Amino acid sequence: MAPDWMHGSPRPFSKVLVANRGEIAVRILQAARESGLSGVAVYSDADATSLHVEIADDSIHLEGEGLEQTYLNENAIIEAARSSGAQAIHPGYGFLSERASFARAVEASGMVWIGPSTEAIETMGDKISARSLMIESGVPVIPGEELAISEDSDHLGALATAAARVGYPLLLKASAGGGGKGMRAVSEPRALRSEFEAASREAATAFGDGTVYIERLLTGARHVEVQVLCDSHGTSIHLNERDCSLQRRYQKVIEEAPSPALSPEVRESMGQAALMAARSVGYVGAGTVEFLLASNGQFYFLEMNTRIQVEHPVTEMTTGIDIVQKQFEVAAGLPLGISQSDVIQSGHAIEARIYAEDPSQGFLPSTGRLAMWRPPSGPGIRVDSGVREGDEVTIDFDPMLAKLIVHAQNRQAAIRRLDSALANFVAMGVQSNIDFLRNAVSHHAFQSGSVDTDFLDSTPSAELSPPEPDEPILVAIAASAHRLGVGRARSGETELADGHTGHPGDPFRTLRRTFP
Amino acid sequence: MEWSVARSDARYGATLEEHEGRVSVTSLTRDDSEVTPPNVVVSADEKEGRVLVEVDGSPRLAHVSRIGDTWWVHVNGRTHVVHLHDRGSSATDITKGALTAPMPGTVVELHVKQGQRVREGQVLMVLEAMKMEHKITSPKAGEVAIVNYEQGDRVEMGSVLVEIVD
Repeated sequence: MAPDWMHGSPRPFSKVLVANRGEIAVRILQAARESGLSGVAVYSDADATSLHVEIADDSIHLEGEGLEQTYLNENAIIEAARSSGAQAIHPGYGFLSERASFARAVEASGMVWIGPSTEAIETMGDKISARSLMIESGVPVIPGEELAISEDSDHLGALATAAARVGYPLLLKASAGGGGKGMRAVSEPRALRSEFEAASREAATAFGDGTVYIERLLTGARHVEVQVLCDSHGTSIHLNERDCSLQRRYQKVIEEAPSPALSPEVRESMGQAALMAARSVGYVGAGTVEFLLASNGQFYFLEMNTRIQVEHPVTEMTTGIDIVQKQFEVAAGLPLGISQSDVIQSGHAIEARIYAEDPSQGFLPSTGRLAMWRPPSGPGIRVDSGVREGDEVTIDFDPMLAKLIVHAQNRQAAIRRLDSALANFVAMGVQSNIDFLRNAVSHHAFQSGSVDTDFLDSTPSAELSPPEPDEPILVAIAASAHRLGVGRARSGETELADGHTGHPGDPFRTLRRTFP
Repeated sequence: MEWSVARSDARYGATLEEHEGRVSVTSLTRDDSEVTPPNVVVSADEKEGRVLVEVDGSPRLAHVSRIGDTWWVHVNGRTHVVHLHDRGSSATDITKGALTAPMPGTVVELHVKQGQRVREGQVLMVLEAMKMEHKITSPKAGEVAIVNYEQGDRVEMGSVLVEIVD
């Protein structure tokens, strides 16, 4: 039975399969439960006891090894949905979320696809076609040449001509790219050929398509993106922007809303540009239009992400709108039920991504057992996490352990709250970037809201290093703890005490699916 | 028993005194020289994995967790790693010229074989973990004496991947 709120919907569903793992699977499964929907998890061998499986109403094992056979296996996931009786599939982010073939297969099997049309995914997934469409629709793009340069043609002449027209420094980008792969900055004509070959090779390896195009390299720019929500009745609204300028090698580290760099006029025109982009592909659902904001206030279309975004919580905290719930409603064919004037902007929210990596070792991935995992809690603090104390962090998946999101009245208060929450975040057994995040948010450039996307990569590491520890005090604590016999690894992991209150038998635990 | 703090070479020896569940340091050596012991008193807290730490009389809570010979300590909003050693043991015991895995991962590319000559900086293999690739390059010119893994193998952090001899 579909929940009451779906009454009158043209495409009702009561059971949704989440084709993902980790924190986003947990987030979506919780949203499903809150909406009166049953949630089905899928899991590989390595995830048999993971949190997303524990909180789901039902779970289906994906046999095989590696991502291709499990979380990227379109047929196995559709079969899992069918066998569990799910009528809808939510892809989360990453994995199959932006594969048009999967969206098509879900719809062909008669299930509801919680995402935009396959056409929208295809158009926006190809950087060159997205760029051309934006130019047609009047959305500003970075000056460049969208001529596709593939390696096998007589490309070098065309490349040099195009590069000269765009001007140096320039950026070579993979058409099928993302996450910095197949992307190369070129500062002078001499380096063009070798950088082009490197970019093309990287793109071919990573995406199976070596097509590369050219854009002018904008230095000192910020990454600002706009969340859009569109229904199938022609209503499209935006939920303001998120500023994701604090990045390390094109990976976002900290995101916030609102952006400290937008004037009301630019905010307004960026919101309108995002809606134009979404409408140009007949977008339905939740999506994100990414822009590069140059230091002179000009902004340019980067790409559109046709899925839920990792950093969606900062928008939820400042607008009060549950984006995953809206995705369910829109997928069921219901109208949005809110107009642009209903969208408020309340206070300031910041998200910090907690990664299993070691900042002192060049941010290499870190693995191990989370011997202690005590996330902070309190007013204005939200933790979206896919792990629990005792879980094993392995090399098989993305290194993001959790997202810490804070909300406060204004930016200064939000930064203070974030720093305090990070200080109270206890994660042991696996190296994490928690200390590094504290150093980054306390840096004057972040405090003053003036970081650009190169900030973390160009700032000397000494400026982002923690204070020298007081070694004798640490030795005293460890040696004393050793003497007292505390802190020993527990046997059996009985989980009698609640993770937050520390009291055994917390009544709320019993509301979860811990009964046989 | 000796102690060291991660990323520091100094070795500490601590003499402790326990009185009604309160432990304090009566003497401390740093690389075998006597140093002033910190004014720290540690006692167990009722919550598992937590201790009460008084530094110069001012109290704060710290979290501690032991994994093998490693103690994780979270105090004053920072997490630290403290190692426990047998007295006199050396920090690492890796053969000269041996290249160890800087992270756990899978060997996705292997570019050299036993007996091959390599240049300084030449890429020997590529490790992948958590969607991140890491190139293992030769620290010096020489000959590949041993290759311990094949493409597709999983390696643990610190395991010897390749040995280069002059």
